[in-house]
Amino acid sequence: MPDIAFFGFAAVTVLGAILALESRDLVYGAVSLGVSFLGVASLFFLLDAAYIGVFQIAVYIGAVVILILFTVMLVGPAKGEGPTEFRRTALFIGILVAMMLGVGGALASPSAFSTNQPCTPECDLAQFSQSLLVTYSVQLAVLSLVFAAAVIGALTLAKSERGTA
Amino acid sequence: MEPLASFFGLSATLLAIGIYGLATKRSAIRILFSVELIYNAANLNIVAFARLRNPPLVTGQVLVIFSIALAAMEAAVGLAIILLAFRLNSDIDLRKMTRLKG
Amino acid sequence: MTSPLFFKVAVFPGLTSIGIIIALFIWLDRKITARVQLRVGPLYASPLGGVLQSFADLIKFAFKELFIPRNADKFFFVAAPVLALIGGAGLVGLIPFTPEWQISNLELGLPAFLAFVTLSPMLILLAGWSANSKYPFIGGLRSLFQQTAYEIPLWLSAIGVVMMAGTMNLIGIVQAQSKPWVIFLGLSIPGWYIIPQALGALLFFITATAEMERIPFDLPEAEPEIIMGWQAEYPGFLFMSAAGASFVRLYAFSALFSVLYLGGWMGPAPVPALLWTAIKIIIVSSLIILLRATFPRVRIDQLLRAGWTYLLGLAFLNIVITYLLVVGPRI
Repeated sequence: MPDIAFFGFAAVTVLGAILALESRDLVYGAVSLGVSFLGVASLFFLLDAAYIGVFQIAVYIGAVVILILFTVMLVGPAKGEGPTEFRRTALFIGILVAMMLGVGGALASPSAFSTNQPCTPECDLAQFSQSLLVTYSVQLAVLSLVFAAAVIGALTLAKSERGTA
Repeated sequence: MEPLASFFGLSATLLAIGIYGLATKRSAIRILFSVELIYNAANLNIVAFARLRNPPLVTGQVLVIFSIALAAMEAAVGLAIILLAFRLNSDIDLRKMTRLKG
Repeated sequence: MTSPLFFKVAVFPGLTSIGIIIALFIWLDRKITARVQLRVGPLYASPLGGVLQSFADLIKFAFKELFIPRNADKFFFVAAPVLALIGGAGLVGLIPFTPEWQISNLELGLPAFLAFVTLSPMLILLAGWSANSKYPFIGGLRSLFQQTAYEIPLWLSAIGVVMMAGTMNLIGIVQAQSKPWVIFLGLSIPGWYIIPQALGALLFFITATAEMERIPFDLPEAEPEIIMGWQAEYPGFLFMSAAGASFVRLYAFSALFSVLYLGGWMGPAPVPALLWTAIKIIIVSSLIILLRATFPRVRIDQLLRAGWTYLLGLAFLNIVITYLLVVGPRI
């Protein structure tokens, strides 16, 4: 049963990713990207990381995809789609990197990672919050500072645009 | 539960799609799509490794929370830059953005 | 075919009940608004004050011609309202009407509900864009701006409940409210979170109304300004599913409010649990409908300013109050 679920979600993720890059209309591309994110969120649910899945839906689909759609609609779906430039070396490097990583994963998995452990205490929400708020509290605080910097940066960009226009 | 290798294969596929997009696309928004796909490949990988480890580890999920938050910020700032570039150049083709000054 | 899950998904609290409840809510909406405005409202369609009027309207909508504008994006034009309706129905599946009457009991029921709610502005934006017309697109963009105003206070006001209950499971939240608050002269006042979380409940009520895009905050539709906004181009059946989605969300949010703040299926008198849930949902949704008849529409800049200043500040204040309530007794 989990096999079917895994392959279904994996197919949705990969097809969504390919459509996001290859669809003719950028709006369709943005929505396919959202579908791909939804597939990844479902895979997080399969991995007992339900909180991450919910977070992925709320942040990626609820915020990022909507921002992208907004930008696409402001820019105009037809603009900025030059002819695709097929650069063989870059593609070759990409496939090579992915293959190397894949071989590495295949070598790593049977020894240390082929277990089928139940995940009762470790994947618990309480354990997760403990880890997030106690062990990694400093990192969380730094992250919030980065958030503030990003907000100020985005606002400054928007403001300067209004000033020059 | 699937073995790690299948999650890893999926993650590598997403990464390859993302690199392909980075290599061939000229529209700034498509490039942003590719970057987000690569982020997702990494996140999936981290969660899969942390979950299928023996014993499972919760730190992977914490790391992914940070990563998702950073990706959201990156998208917000990136889209602001794209909008600004569109206002200045009335195009988002990266090959045409050759001037350093607006 | 006779498995209980199938019954739940198909009949109650699933699809059949949602269909009937949309019609009943439309009737309630029209009737309450009419009474406030000293009119009579639907009258003739049945002996019970015209209940059947909205069923008749729905049947009429279903038989209208499915007209799609020439330059519209056909796929999203059809898919967006249908998906909005299905998404709203999915929200109802997360609500525990009683411990038994719930379709899926997730450990993270509350954040899952709120996360799925964030998808609706995307569908509205797509619907407005796909119609390829000015007013629908303005409506879609307004929906997007409106989301930035209400989204954060909505999540922050729900955090107060999670802090008090110590769980995000909706059944767990209701069970955490079962202990009486105080027993005064033999009269036990139930420990519903509406009392300690009064500020949070008010904020949740306001932001949820903004989420549902009902009248004080119905900027994406705004009939007098942008002639129904994103729904302007929709024909018969698609208009029905677009408008029905908003009523499904009214239903789901009223149920969620009664679960979070009013003790769900529990009540002081020995009445069947399902009846308590129904009574609370009707009270909460009637209050939301009353807002429509009472308040004028806000402007988009007023909503954004209120969302980012007053609502956000009060939500943080509510978290501080909740912290003192939860941690204070232990010190």
